[in-house]
Amino acid sequence: MTMDRRTVLGLGGAVAAGAILLAPGVRLIAAPNKTEASGAQRWAMLIDVNHCTAACTACTDACRTENNVPLFGDPKRDIHWIRKVEVQDEEGRRPPLSLPVLCNHCEHPPCVHVCPTEASFIRKDGIVLVDKHRCIGCRYCMIACPYKARSLVYFQVDVDKASNPRVPVRGKGVVEKCTFCVHRVDDGQQPACVEACQAAGEGAMLFGDLNDPQSEIAQRVRTLKTETIRADLGLKPHVHYQGL
Amino acid sequence: MQLSDFTTIEGRSFGYWALMGVLGLFVLLGAGAFLYVEIMGHGVTNMNNQVVWGAPHVFAIALLVMASGALNLASMATVFGASHYKQFRRFSAFLAIALLAGGLIVLLLDLGRPERLLLTMIHMNFGSMFTWNVFLYSGFMVLCFLYLWAMMEHEKWVKVAGSSAFAGRLILTTGTGSIFGVIQAREVFHSAITAPTFIAVSLSSGTAICLLLLMATYRQTGREMDEKLVHGMRNMMVFFLLAVAYLMVVEKFTKSYSPAFYEVEAWIMTGPYALLYWGGVVTLGILLPLVILFNPGWSNTRGGITTAALCAVLGEVAFVAHVLIAGQSYPLDLFPGYNISSPFLDGQSASYSPAAVEYMLGFGGVALAGILYLLGIRFFRLLPDKAVAPEGWHPWSP
Amino acid sequence: MLWSRLVVMILVLLLSGSIQAQGSDAVRPAGGWPGLKGDKCIQPTDWMRKNHMEFLKQRREVTVREGVRIRDESLLQCQTCHTSRQAFCDRCHQYVGVHPDCFDCHIYPK
Repeated sequence: MTMDRRTVLGLGGAVAAGAILLAPGVRLIAAPNKTEASGAQRWAMLIDVNHCTAACTACTDACRTENNVPLFGDPKRDIHWIRKVEVQDEEGRRPPLSLPVLCNHCEHPPCVHVCPTEASFIRKDGIVLVDKHRCIGCRYCMIACPYKARSLVYFQVDVDKASNPRVPVRGKGVVEKCTFCVHRVDDGQQPACVEACQAAGEGAMLFGDLNDPQSEIAQRVRTLKTETIRADLGLKPHVHYQGL
Repeated sequence: MQLSDFTTIEGRSFGYWALMGVLGLFVLLGAGAFLYVEIMGHGVTNMNNQVVWGAPHVFAIALLVMASGALNLASMATVFGASHYKQFRRFSAFLAIALLAGGLIVLLLDLGRPERLLLTMIHMNFGSMFTWNVFLYSGFMVLCFLYLWAMMEHEKWVKVAGSSAFAGRLILTTGTGSIFGVIQAREVFHSAITAPTFIAVSLSSGTAICLLLLMATYRQTGREMDEKLVHGMRNMMVFFLLAVAYLMVVEKFTKSYSPAFYEVEAWIMTGPYALLYWGGVVTLGILLPLVILFNPGWSNTRGGITTAALCAVLGEVAFVAHVLIAGQSYPLDLFPGYNISSPFLDGQSASYSPAAVEYMLGFGGVALAGILYLLGIRFFRLLPDKAVAPEGWHPWSP
Repeated sequence: MLWSRLVVMILVLLLSGSIQAQGSDAVRPAGGWPGLKGDKCIQPTDWMRKNHMEFLKQRREVTVREGVRIRDESLLQCQTCHTSRQAFCDRCHQYVGVHPDCFDCHIYPK
């Protein structure tokens, strides 16, 4: 992936921070101590629909575990960061497709445009996030998102001993959605769904930096026929699909 | 019109206090509903991840839309030179403030995190219609206050203040309509004509609420109002109802030439919200009041006019409810031309029926507007003792 | 509940200087804080005592919005020295009557 660039970018800050922070004699470890989202990157996802099977829920399961996303047992109010959608042509002539749909991390995200407090925002590297400290729960973003990527937290969720400490659980009354596993990406890891898909599933999901011409995703998006959902809306989504 | 002609009402009768008591009870219930939702989370409402704006928003937006329409009577006098409505200017501007306050409080108290409200003042996103609406609502309120102040103290500023308030109300309702109109994702209400339709609906419902309250207030306080004034306002209502009908027809007409809209339009007209559309928006909101008001017999009786005005108000609520609830229930079309399904209920029309707490919160806002109005006529000299019409003026009659 | 929190927040803002100084002195256990390891925090102790809330808020802002992550100084690292949240954070917060809601969502690792 783009570990090299990230290491280089982080090194300056890391050396500075390391010099101040670490006790004398302690050496800087391999991973950069400080990283920052940079416009040099443009994170994106590519989903090969041909390799996605209907029965497999590796990506959605991994997301729930990684991000502590609960199921309330109330389908109308459950939180979904990523979901499997069955797509069938209206005449039913072709076999149905099954594919994951998640936040598309658009280049022109309507949720960000409508948010009155700038709680929804787009990071320099293209990841669209909700600043849950700032969300007032007006839900206008949920009206504006054409992908139904967002959920309001309808119920109190308490911190659980089994929760992944790297991802905060949720305060009720705020809106949330897929983060591209930003905590993992900043650590140089893949999003949990992609990792699970490659490990347990069929390797249908690919994540990477579109701005890096050497990355696999950039090469595949450049050379293969890929599509985005509702490209007609002009939002420039960054979840690409192959074989739709 | 002399200043001395305007008087406060006595406000000591049993009826006044009884009305205050009932409205007060509703406000308390609304406050209780707010605290309950706040502590328990929005799980106690019936809103869900498809219909994220529910009954409280219908109440709130209906009140806000009506508020800007309520100012119309004053604008008729100040901006359009219909000087016989000059006597209702104060009433009209004050009613606009009262309705706005009632609607706004519901909107704010239904936030998922109302305690963070001040964040909207600290971090503003000027691309958001919501941010603009924060300014439009507060700005409109200030303009109405200035207008009232000018009317009561400084007649020479009335023209300026009244014209600014008129411009303010047009922009305000454009802003409210644009909350919906600008949203590309929602096929039911994504249209440039949504905002103008909101303005027309605000005019018809605002005139109707003015008419209803004026007739009721004058009757209950034993004051006199010339019937010609009632007929003049009735005629305004006819005009505005026709404007609503016109804009709605233009929208459907335009969409009938775009096959891409056939699916959503068929859903509106035959789907789960067809009754709300045909019964509420079309029949109750437009056809029924027009039939009554064009009937030579009914349109000249208080009963007929009251019924038509009530229909116009309920039709406005139905219109807002249809835009909001049907607008959100129509499934997002992720893959046009394909059927989709998922555990997140993709591709299905949402179902939603409001919970009791939502009604309580909504009626709390209505009751607050009512209390403000009752206090207004009790403490401010808003209405003349005797509302008279000019000698030579004869409003059209069917 | 909601408004009381707001009122408390405003009061604390108004009286911050005095309350914090008194609070931390009065509530500090005689033999030092239990469950503390290490010699010093990422900022001088006195400064942290007065400014940790602003410091955390500022770090929160740049981490969430700019993606600035300093591994050794992340919230998850607090526990390497402040091994018990109950004994360290909560004790003082209870004494001064503030209820920061950080750990309603964030997980203080054990």
